[in-house]
Amino acid sequence: MSAIWYYVFTLVFFLFDYFILAMGLNIQYGETGILNFAYIGFVAIGAYVTGAVSMPNSVGTGQHYILGWSIPFPFNLLIGGVAASLLAVIVALISLRRLRTDYLAMVLISLSLVLYDVCNNFVPLFNGADGLYNVPEPMVGVFHLTSNAFVPFFAAVTGVVAGILWFVMSRITRAPLGRTLRAIRDDSGVAAALGKGVFRYQLTSMLIGSFYAGVGGGLIIQFGGSFNPSAWLPGETFVIFAVIIVGGVGNNIGLIVGSLLVETMLVHLPAFLPAIPGHPGLIEYIDAMVIGALLMVMLWFRPQGMVPERTRRFTIPSLAARKDDGDAVAVGANASPKEAE
Amino acid sequence: MQQFWLAFGFGLVTASVLAISAVGLSLQFGITNYINFAYGDFMALGAFMTYGLNAEVLHLNIWVALIGGSLGMGVLAVLLNRFLLSPFARRFDRTFYVMIVTFGLSLIILNVVYSIWGPDVRAYNTPIEQVLHIGPFLLTRNQLIVMAMSIALMVLVHIMLKTTRLGKSMRAMSDNTTLAMTSGIDTKLITTITWFLSGTLAGLSGAVLGITEGNLTPASGELFLFVIFAAVIVGGVGSIYGAMAGAVLIGLATEISAAFINPSYKLDVAFVILILTLLFRPSGLFSRPGKA
Repeated sequence: MSAIWYYVFTLVFFLFDYFILAMGLNIQYGETGILNFAYIGFVAIGAYVTGAVSMPNSVGTGQHYILGWSIPFPFNLLIGGVAASLLAVIVALISLRRLRTDYLAMVLISLSLVLYDVCNNFVPLFNGADGLYNVPEPMVGVFHLTSNAFVPFFAAVTGVVAGILWFVMSRITRAPLGRTLRAIRDDSGVAAALGKGVFRYQLTSMLIGSFYAGVGGGLIIQFGGSFNPSAWLPGETFVIFAVIIVGGVGNNIGLIVGSLLVETMLVHLPAFLPAIPGHPGLIEYIDAMVIGALLMVMLWFRPQGMVPERTRRFTIPSLAARKDDGDAVAVGANASPKEAE
Repeated sequence: MQQFWLAFGFGLVTASVLAISAVGLSLQFGITNYINFAYGDFMALGAFMTYGLNAEVLHLNIWVALIGGSLGMGVLAVLLNRFLLSPFARRFDRTFYVMIVTFGLSLIILNVVYSIWGPDVRAYNTPIEQVLHIGPFLLTRNQLIVMAMSIALMVLVHIMLKTTRLGKSMRAMSDNTTLAMTSGIDTKLITTITWFLSGTLAGLSGAVLGITEGNLTPASGELFLFVIFAAVIVGGVGSIYGAMAGAVLIGLATEISAAFINPSYKLDVAFVILILTLLFRPSGLFSRPGKA
């Protein structure tokens, strides 16, 4: 297979993977209004745990890491997602109830930096600054894949995972749960006045979103076979914010557009440009500035994103049916849409 | 015990740097009511402009360069507010948007610093200095100057807030911007001055961080940011005096803990204190009603 196709499938992989990551952040930020500036930390925990549980016991590997259970794909991915969710629950229990959105954002960005610091310095956990490497490639043994065939194969696997997660997410956002989350986003006071347990819903949203983060991170470590702190500097969270803001906040279809525009076109394509002579890394820096500037321009001129959130209209079937009967009293008693929660 | 007092001395130095930066962040937050996530990068840019004046062009004395670098950052902060942040803040009711803009600004400034100065670790061009024994402490002359500077600045900020017309207007705006405006305060002017002060203090603290640590990198401001956040939240968000107290507490705690645990984790101690504060006194030590 030629190098071009290798790159193309790498891009396809990142397109799907960032679609997953964007869906996770979108339910937190776009649907519930939680400004999760620590998102990349949850991605990293998912990646590390996925890698660490799929690798054999660390004795004799030359690396230091916890777990080492040799668990095969895709179960390691699930464990990674659950680990990220667990972290989210702990974080949410400590900080969510006590803080207004902006202080929460401060605490979360601090969390992101501290997680980074600890993973970078504390070698026994996930091998410190070197990170995990030689993570076994999933399902290679089962399908007898060569390392060339692995890239398109795994891009396809990621596509399938993204498809499943998208289906689940589209059910969630259409369900009463999604409606309640959007109500909290728009005005948490009103949601609380309607009897919604705001904290419980925010917790649910953090939990679901972080599971997506963990799975997305797990796919990254499975795809590349390695993961270290340089892959998840706190600024990476911003790229995912850019994906959902460019694509369209609160819209699952917009996210794949955002992922294509930001992640594929702006983050990964420039990586193939030749370096400017005498200025190593300059392209990367300019790239980051362009992403930052693009996001500001988008927010100013098209804050709803490329694919805006649909205005949802609800008809109440029971109301429509009963009107025909002319049974006005019964309508008054039963007309409120039932929240299944 | 000797070790404890040594660490205590370093703690006072860190607290001095932290106090300058925490007050700068709090001043701006009190007036505009959104958090500037680019503050750490303001620090880095101020520190590197100082570095430019000190070691690359002009070759100024470090303290002169420091003034140039921080005032430059103050002017830049005013321009950024005028042309970027305040239009966003005016256009969108929710602080969400403008906070994301500051987050993006942080990415841009960090990468500007990276593209101009590169990722290498730098150090200011300061005269070689011997370590002074003062009581139980071991400090350099520069560290003493930084401490004196910090104390002087805190006193100045206090006098400004309590006695001058500017300070009173700032406190009024911090309580209620609309009410301040209807009372005839030129809120736009006050906001501009506040951004100038905040940017200057950011640049100053970034530079003194580089002086006291003996090195500077583009990312050092960003890493320091969460320590500032910890100081501000522990002190009570929106309270300038809380920010000062939080800075002393966090500064001492991080350095003293470094005497007993691996110093790589000393900044993480700030986060632990932050979490403990959230658990037991979420509004901070010196909270003001309505701000948390």
